[in-house]
Amino acid sequence: MRYLFIDTSFGYVVSLIENDKIVCINKSEENFNTSDKILPVISSMFDNVDFKINDISKIFIVTGPGSFTGIRVGVTIAKILGYTLNIPLIKLSKLELLATTSVKTKYVMPVIDARRGYAYVALYDNDLNIYLDDCYDVLDTVTKKYNDYTIVSDNSNLDIIKIIKKHELDEAENPHLLKPNYLKKTEAEEKLDRKNN
Amino acid sequence: MKILAIESSCDETSMSVIEDGVKDLGTVILSQIDIHKLYGGVVPEIASRAHVEAITIVLDEVLKKCNLTMNDIDAIAVTYGPGLIGSLLIGLECAKTLCFIYNKPLIPVHHIKGHIYANNLVKRLEFPLIALVISGGHTDLVYMSEDYSFKKIGGTLDDAVGECYDKVARILDLPYPGGPKLDKLASEGSDTYNLPKPLNDNTYNFSFSGLKSAVINLVHNETQRGNIIKKEDLACSFQKTVCDILTKKTIKALKEYNVNNLVVAGGVSANKVLRKNLEDACLENNINITVPPILYCTDNAAMIGAAAYYAYKKGIIADLNLKAKANVSIEDLDN
Repeated sequence: MRYLFIDTSFGYVVSLIENDKIVCINKSEENFNTSDKILPVISSMFDNVDFKINDISKIFIVTGPGSFTGIRVGVTIAKILGYTLNIPLIKLSKLELLATTSVKTKYVMPVIDARRGYAYVALYDNDLNIYLDDCYDVLDTVTKKYNDYTIVSDNSNLDIIKIIKKHELDEAENPHLLKPNYLKKTEAEEKLDRKNN
Repeated sequence: MKILAIESSCDETSMSVIEDGVKDLGTVILSQIDIHKLYGGVVPEIASRAHVEAITIVLDEVLKKCNLTMNDIDAIAVTYGPGLIGSLLIGLECAKTLCFIYNKPLIPVHHIKGHIYANNLVKRLEFPLIALVISGGHTDLVYMSEDYSFKKIGGTLDDAVGECYDKVARILDLPYPGGPKLDKLASEGSDTYNLPKPLNDNTYNFSFSGLKSAVINLVHNETQRGNIIKKEDLACSFQKTVCDILTKKTIKALKEYNVNNLVVAGGVSANKVLRKNLEDACLENNINITVPPILYCTDNAAMIGAAAYYAYKKGIIADLNLKAKANVSIEDLDN
C-alpha cells in the first residue's frame, strides 16, 4: 500500500508512505508561500521513489484547523487528485495529528493559537481516543476543566504512521464534498449572525 | 489545440475548454453573487471558501459539457493575477495539480488580457487596436500592435468605473450588485442633475472618485434641505457623465494612435447606454467596434482560454512554481 500524506495547516508536511514506512518526507515550518512551494515539493518527492502519483492507493489529507489559506491549498490539491485519479481521500484533524506526540501524562491536549485568547483545542489520550472534540474556544476555560494532560502545540514530534494506522480503514470522502475544517466562521458571517440575532 | 482554462480571481469559479483561441467548446461559470449580496459586496475570505467547495464540481461539469476527458486536453491555462489573492490561489493550485498529474504545459494568463481576448471568441482580433477595459476593478485604455502585445496608454487614477457604479448604486439604495440595476434605473430617468465632468483633460487617464463624492454630497445636501431626490434622474445624469468621458477619451485615443479597431472588455461593457454611446461614436468616426456578448463580459474562463492560446504561441509557459499575484501590470511579461 502506498499513501500520500498532506498537511498544509501550518507550513507543510508532505510524505510518501509505503507498507507502513515513511519513504520520503518533506517539511517546512515557514508559514508563508506554502501555496507556491507545495506542488513543486510534492512533484519532486516522486523523483526519489520508484512509483508514480497514479500508484497511490490513498491520500491522507489534514483538513484543519489551521491557517485558512494553508488548509485551502492542501484540500484543493487533494480534491483534484482524488477526483481525477479516483484515489480515496481520508481526512485527518490537525489537532489529532498534534496529539500523536508522545507524552507522559494520561491525556494530550493539542492547542493551536487562534488569537485574542481563543484556541483550536481538543483532548485525546495516547491511543488517540477522543475526550473533547475539536473546537474553537477560550483556552483558559478548557484548560481548567481537565487534569493530567500535556499541552502540545508544535509540529516537531508528530507520528504520521500512528494517525494513518488509526484512520486507514475510515470511509473515504467524496472529493466534491471534502472541504477545509476551519472550525470558525468568517468575521463577516459572525457579524451578520450578530445582526440577525 | 484544446486548452482547459481556469478562472477564480474574484467571486466566480469558472472553467472552459477553448480550441485554438477561437472556439468555445464549453464553459461553466459558478457565480457566488447570491452569497455576497448578503454582505453588500464581495467578502474575500468567503469567496476563497466558496471556490474550494466548487472547484471539482466545476471541473467535472465542464468536462461533461464538452464530452472530453483530461487526456484530450493539450494545455492548462489559469488566471494568476490580478485579483483577490485567496481566490486566485484556488484556481492556481487546481491548475498546477492537473499539470502535475497529466504532465501538460501550464499557461499563466493575466486577467485583463483575458478580458480583451473575450472579443476573439466573437471575431478574430484585428490589429492595431485600442482596448477599453472597464470592470469593477479596472478602467484601462490599452494599445495592441499585434497579438499578445499590450501597452497601457491610460487608466483610472483612483476608483474603477464599475466600483464607482456600485458605490453610487448603494447611495441610491439599490441592492448589490448595483451596477446593472443603476443602468436599468437610468433608462427610466432624464438628465436633469448637473454633475462635474471627471478629469476632462488631455490625457488618457480617468478619475471617478470625485464624481462619486459629488453624487454623495448632492444626495446629502438635498436630503438636508428636505428635497426629494429623483433617483432615476440622478442615475441618468451619473450614467451620462460616465459614458461621455469614457467615450470621449476612447475616441481621442483611437484618433491620436491612428487606429481603426476598438474592442470593449470587462463587466461594465454590459452597460447598455455605454455600448450605444461607443457604437454611435465609432460609426461616426468609421471605426470597427467589437463588444463581447454578455456571457463573456463578466468574469469567465473562456476568455482566459482564448488569451492562453496566443500566450502559448509567444512562449509564455510557467512551471509548478508559478505564483498568484494580487497586483500585476498588463505590461508584465507573465513569467
